[in-house]
Amino acid sequence: MSPLSGINAYSPGMLSRVTPLPGKDIAEIPSQLPAAGPAGSADFSSMLGKFVSDVNGQQLNAAQQVSALQSGQNVPLHQAVIAMEEASVSFQLMVEVRNKLMESYQEIMRMQI
Amino acid sequence: MIQILTGIRNTSGALEAERTRLDVIAQNIANTHTTHDVDGKPYQRRVVIFANELENAMNAANGELPAMHVAKIERDTRPALKIHDPGNPDADAKGMVSLPNINIHEEMADMISASRTFEANLAVVKNARQMAMQTLAMGKH
Repeated sequence: MSPLSGINAYSPGMLSRVTPLPGKDIAEIPSQLPAAGPAGSADFSSMLGKFVSDVNGQQLNAAQQVSALQSGQNVPLHQAVIAMEEASVSFQLMVEVRNKLMESYQEIMRMQI
Repeated sequence: MIQILTGIRNTSGALEAERTRLDVIAQNIANTHTTHDVDGKPYQRRVVIFANELENAMNAANGELPAMHVAKIERDTRPALKIHDPGNPDADAKGMVSLPNINIHEEMADMISASRTFEANLAVVKNARQMAMQTLAMGKH
């Protein structure tokens, strides 16, 4: 099927004078993108969910260590600070991932069709 | 679990070990004149022994680096210092009193070394965080 099929009805006889360009017809180029199935989207959302819950776990761990330290339990100071650092960096990573996703979404929404 | 600051576990072990070493040095300095330890003899200088061992087989299977830690706290076997002090209740028949084998200058030098090593490990943590943040900012601007 030609990509411009049906245009003949509007300009009869015009297209017969156009010589086709050498090379591949656009319809013959196979689609490189795999079809987005429900399985793929479920995998991505579960991966994202696991990542967010990991980040949340690190935040909870840091909060627990700090409260243990403050309540006088035998938690070394550096361990609590390292847990806080790790939680902070992984939260930053999560924010970056979110920014990237939003950026892609905005880019698609701005696309002229 | 996501690994953001890799290698930090080893640094954490080293920080813990250096803190223990500082605690032991503080104990040594505090007991410079203790003639009665728990065993009734003069206090003996304590030294920490560091080790680098595999925590367990699982960590080894995961390819993690072994954590550094304090293996044990030993007693320094150098002989006690003897001073002549017949009035002291701990003096022997000849009027000699055994004082702990602690040299305060040695302890101070050890304290500087422990404190500087602690500082170096903190610098490692700081650098690891900085590297992670710089990597997150990769591709911007």
